[in-house]
Amino acid sequence: MDGTIGILSQVAFWGLYSGCIYILLATGLNLIFGVMKIVNFAHGEFLMLGTYITFFLFVISGFNPYILLIGSIPILIIAGVIVERLCFRPILGTGKLNEIFISLGLIYIFQNLVALIWTDEWRSMRSPYADILINLGPLQLPLDYLIIITVTAMILVSLYIFLQKTALGRAIRAASQNRKGAMLMGVNVEKVDMLTFGIGAGLAGAAGTLWAVSGQVFNPYMGSIPAIKGFAIIILGGLGSIPGAIIGGLAIGMVENFTAFTLGGSWKDAVSFILLIVVLVIRPTGLFGEDEE
Amino acid sequence: MKLFDSRDPRHLLMVGFLVLAFLIPLVIGSSLYYLTILILMLIFIIYASAWNFLTFSGQGSLGHAAFFGLGGYAASLMAVKLGLPSLVTLVFGGCFAALIGVLIGLTCVRLREWFLAMVTFGFAVIIQTLIVSQLAPVTGGWDGFPVPKLVPTTIPGYLMIEYYLVLVIAIAVILIFRYLLQSRIGLALAAIRENEVEARAAGINPVPFKLFAFGVSAFVTGIAGSLEIFHFGYITPEIFGIDLSFWPIIYSITGGLGTLSGPIVGTIVVTLLWDGLNALGLTYARFIIIGVLLVLIIIFLPRGLVSLPEEIRKRLKGRRS
Repeated sequence: MDGTIGILSQVAFWGLYSGCIYILLATGLNLIFGVMKIVNFAHGEFLMLGTYITFFLFVISGFNPYILLIGSIPILIIAGVIVERLCFRPILGTGKLNEIFISLGLIYIFQNLVALIWTDEWRSMRSPYADILINLGPLQLPLDYLIIITVTAMILVSLYIFLQKTALGRAIRAASQNRKGAMLMGVNVEKVDMLTFGIGAGLAGAAGTLWAVSGQVFNPYMGSIPAIKGFAIIILGGLGSIPGAIIGGLAIGMVENFTAFTLGGSWKDAVSFILLIVVLVIRPTGLFGEDEE
Repeated sequence: MKLFDSRDPRHLLMVGFLVLAFLIPLVIGSSLYYLTILILMLIFIIYASAWNFLTFSGQGSLGHAAFFGLGGYAASLMAVKLGLPSLVTLVFGGCFAALIGVLIGLTCVRLREWFLAMVTFGFAVIIQTLIVSQLAPVTGGWDGFPVPKLVPTTIPGYLMIEYYLVLVIAIAVILIFRYLLQSRIGLALAAIRENEVEARAAGINPVPFKLFAFGVSAFVTGIAGSLEIFHFGYITPEIFGIDLSFWPIIYSITGGLGTLSGPIVGTIVVTLLWDGLNALGLTYARFIIIGVLLVLIIIFLPRGLVSLPEEIRKRLKGRRS
C-alpha cells in the first residue's frame, strides 16, 4: 500500500512540475486577454523562441541555464512589444476574425525564422543537475524539477507584487477592469497594451527556458501543443483570470500525468484537448467564464 | 437567379477565366511540372472555397486540415481496403469529413469566436496525434501508406485527364456555393452572421444553419483532401499539419473574405508567388514572406485583393476632389 501512495505522489509531483510551464504560458495569455481582449494564437511560438534563445545563450556562454532566464525573459519582452506595436495595434478593434488570423501570420514568421537560423531538427539541452535526485521518503525528486517549481513560484510572486504595488501594475489592472474608464483617468492605454503584451511574451519565454532546461526536446514547430494546453487552461480557469490560470495549470498538469500513468504516454497530449471539449459542451463560456459584451 | 449576364463585366471576366482554364493545358500540355501546379491550384481553390463558405455563417476555423486529412484518410482507406475506384471513395471521404464536421460543429455552435478558434485549432493537432499513436495499426503511423491514383498512370495523358476532372469538380463546387448563397439559406446565413440575436427575432433558428454550413464546408474540404491524396498517390499524417490548416485562410484573406471570387483569386496569386519563390530556391524564407504578406494584407487591405480595384478608384477620386 505504501508503494502505491509513493507512486501516486510521484506522479502528482510530475504533474506539479509540468503544470508550472503551462501556468506561465496561460498567465501570459490571460494577462493579454484581460487588457486587450485578444487571444494570441502565436503564444506557443514565444515559448519556442524562449527555448531557442536559452539554447543559443547556453551554447555560447556555458552559463548555468537557470541564470539564462535573465537573458531569455528580456529578449522575449522586447519581441512581444515589437509584435504588439507592429501587428496587433493597427488592427485592434477591427473585428475578432482579423485579430485571430493575424496571429497565423506570426506563427508562420516565427517558426520559419527559427528554422532558418537553427534548422528544424529536434534539439535538447542537458542541465548540470540532470543526475541529482533528492530522496524524500518514498519520493525521488529530480533537483531540476524542484528548482523549476521554485523559479515558477518566484516569477508568479514577482508578477503579483508588480501588479499590486507599482504604478504600471495598477495601470494594467485598471485597463483590464475597464479600458475606457482607465483611459479617462489618464492611463495611457496603448502603452499598457504594449507592456502587457511584452510581459505575456516574457512569461512564455521563461516557460521556454524551463522547458529546455528540464531536458524536453524542442524544434521550431513544437509551440502548438503547449499552446493548446494553454487554451485548455484558460477555458478551465476562466478567460482573463490569473488565479484561474494557476489553478487550471495545476489541474491540467495533474490530469495529464495521471492519464499518461494510467492510459499510456500517447494520450498525454490528447487528454487536455478532450477536457477542453467536455468543459465547453457543458459550459460554452468556460468553467468560470462570464458572459461579457 | 441568372447564371450569366453579358452586360456584367464581372461575368465576362469569369467566362474569360473559364475559357482560359480549359485552354491552358492544351498550351502547356507536355509539361508535367506545370500541369501538377495547376492541378494542386484547383484542389486548393476547392479547399479555400469550402473554408470560406464557413465564414459566410459568421464562424471560422483554424483547423480545417482535420477535415482535409480525415477525408483523405477515409477515402484512401476505402480505396485500399475495399478496392473501390478512387472517384467513388472521394464521395465517401467527403461524407466522413462532413459527419465529423457536424459533430465538431455541434460543440461549436454555442461558442464565442475565441473558443471556436481554440477548439478547431486543437482539433487538427490532436487528430494528428491520434493517427500516429492510437490509430497507427490502421493508418501506418508517421509512415503512411500508398494509395491508388485518381487516374491510373498507365493511361496516356493521365495528368491531362486528371486536370479536367478536377476542373469540373471545382466549377461544380463553386456553382453549388453560389446557388446556396443566393438561396434562402444564404440569406439566413447572412442574417446570422450580421446579428444572431436579430436573426433569432426574425424567426431564424441559427443552430441548424450553422451546422449546415459546418457540414457542407467539411464535406467539400474532405473531397479536396481526398483529391490531393489521390493526386500524390500517398498519404501521411503530415496532411494534418498546421500549414494545411492555414493555407485556405491565407488564400481567402489574400483574395478577400466573404466573397466567392476571393478564395479563387487568392489561391492563384499566392500559389504563383509560392512556386515562384520555390524556383528561387527559398525554403524557409518563403514561409516568412507568406506570413508577412498575410499580416500586411490584414492591416492594409482587410477586404483582400478583390477590393483592390475599388480601393484604387476611391484613392484616385479622393485625390481629384
